[in-house]
Amino acid sequence: MEYAVEAKDLVKQFGEIRALDRLSFQVKEREIYGLIGPNGAGKTTTIRIAATLILPTSGGLNVFGHDAVMDAAEVRKLITYLPEEAGAYKNLSGYEYLRFMGKFRAENHFELEKMVRDAAEISGLGDRLRDKARTYSKGMKRRLLVARALMTKPKLAILDDPTSGLDVIHSFHVRGVIKRFVEQHGVTVLLSSHNMLEVEYLCDRVALINKGRMVAEGSPEELKNKLDVANLEEGFAKVVGFA
Amino acid sequence: MLKGIRNVVSKELKELLRDPKILIGMIILPLVMFPLLGMVIGTSIESAEQSLQTITVGVADFDQGEWSKNLTRYLSSIRNVVIINITATNLNEAVAQLQTNPKATDLIVIPEGFSANISSHKQATIETYSIYSGKGLTEGATSSIISQLLAQYNRYLAPNLFKTEAGSIVKGQPRKIDPRALLQVMSSQVFVLPVTVSILLMFAMQIAATSVASEKEEKTLETLLSLPIDRFTILLGKMTGSIVVAAVSAVAYMVGFNYYMTSLTTSFSSQVTVDLQTLGLAPSLLSYILLGASLFVAILSALALAVIISAFTEDVRSAQSYISYLYIIIMFPMLLAMFSDINTLPLALKIVAYAIPYTYPMLAAKAAFTGEYLLATFGVLYVALFTVILLYVAARLFATEKILTAKLRIRGLGLRRKEPAAEA
Repeated sequence: MEYAVEAKDLVKQFGEIRALDRLSFQVKEREIYGLIGPNGAGKTTTIRIAATLILPTSGGLNVFGHDAVMDAAEVRKLITYLPEEAGAYKNLSGYEYLRFMGKFRAENHFELEKMVRDAAEISGLGDRLRDKARTYSKGMKRRLLVARALMTKPKLAILDDPTSGLDVIHSFHVRGVIKRFVEQHGVTVLLSSHNMLEVEYLCDRVALINKGRMVAEGSPEELKNKLDVANLEEGFAKVVGFA
Repeated sequence: MLKGIRNVVSKELKELLRDPKILIGMIILPLVMFPLLGMVIGTSIESAEQSLQTITVGVADFDQGEWSKNLTRYLSSIRNVVIINITATNLNEAVAQLQTNPKATDLIVIPEGFSANISSHKQATIETYSIYSGKGLTEGATSSIISQLLAQYNRYLAPNLFKTEAGSIVKGQPRKIDPRALLQVMSSQVFVLPVTVSILLMFAMQIAATSVASEKEEKTLETLLSLPIDRFTILLGKMTGSIVVAAVSAVAYMVGFNYYMTSLTTSFSSQVTVDLQTLGLAPSLLSYILLGASLFVAILSALALAVIISAFTEDVRSAQSYISYLYIIIMFPMLLAMFSDINTLPLALKIVAYAIPYTYPMLAAKAAFTGEYLLATFGVLYVALFTVILLYVAARLFATEKILTAKLRIRGLGLRRKEPAAEA
């Protein structure tokens, strides 16, 4: 079976720091797979390797059978990537930003306009899309970027902490959008998060990562049963030895 | 009232002195920049003075009479004046012969009938021609020395026995145009072009650096790099955007500066009209093409350099300060072009000047007036090669993870104290 993402013995060394230490996992097609772990666990490093931005020191990662290192150009055609601390171009309006991003993937004008309409709906920003991104609040900016990442209906959406820095209401909106969109369009999602509530709500399966290694994997229910805890937060603390 | 000021000042100093940008920009750069500028201007003036210590003058004696020989003897007797006897039959031949000697700067022509006129107390005429080379400070100084020497001889002989008509030799052709008037007109060109070229280069670099650094600062670069688009296309797109903005600002700048210069020069030279077209000093099509090509490759290389440097920074402010340190390699050739002739510099400085790519657009700007097309053409090729290398480096940076992970680290001069508690 071909996996949407298949990571094998990923190692990433930044100078003396070993960010990833032989990490392996597989993501099935149409699945929402979550990487969770504390700061510095290696979530973002894994995600950046999958997004073809950095190279693993050893090991490999395939996206729908394409090597993220040797075949990066092919991988980029299949993915969209939402970085954790991403921004939008301050002097472009929301619409201009969406069109700029859409043009890299749309085959024709019709398809582009369809993408932009979808993005407008996903973001829920309405007329504010006509305003320059510099006037947006943090939450609005994030909604714009999530919409950008989903509007092209990629085979794989790579979302690094999609609700990063958002308040309850914005987070609620963004989570709902991701869940609905993925179900409707059969998109595979690889995401990372600190927020255990979010992971429980969104993910079909999760990997608990600590110090660059996988410490547990399974569906949120499985993990809770296996670790005999009430929620994932507790389970995580138990696994990494805080509780 | 000032309670706590010591604490605040101490924190301020730590913050400021530990910032490498401030350390380099405010302290180290001035320490290097000013001595360097001083050296350039000092050497230029020194070499100018040296070239004036002995002047080499051709004398074309078409008269061969008693007084013309007397004048030649008088000129030869003056220390520091080297006389070349020109044995030509007409003015054009004389000019050609004079220019075979690279040191010769001026030609004195004693027309036929000079001695006869003086003997019969009629007013005689002497023509002088100063070679126009467009090379900076010494230009024109020799012609005034010669006119002084002739005036002295005139007084010594009898007042106003002959008059002097001063002319110029432009691109090998004797012209009836006063060298001082010519220089006045040309000097504006000598200043305008290097300054505009420099401003253009600096603008372009700042824009390119800002465009890359702001992508990093605004965290849009990662998204851009994950898109299905060739990384080299992103690089070229960024550079083209910068070229367009730089060109527009350069045009605006040139228009403004031109108004400023014409408002200055018209008041000076209203009494003499100098037609650059007939003198062959108006820039030709070839010189425009060379200047354009030279500027284009220089801007491209400056942009690539700016992109490379900004790839190592985290934010716009750092990128802009690092770029401003590079101004020195633009200012140095600019000052050289304005105040001196590279050929008269000491060898070490000459090598430095020719090694800096940004010397060549300045030379190409001058080539329009000096006719040194060969060097300007070589410059285009040299800078093009330099640009290709830089573009390769920039493309490599963009193609790898270095664009995201590279950082320029400059440690504050031991001012960063290690605090073990904080590191634990």
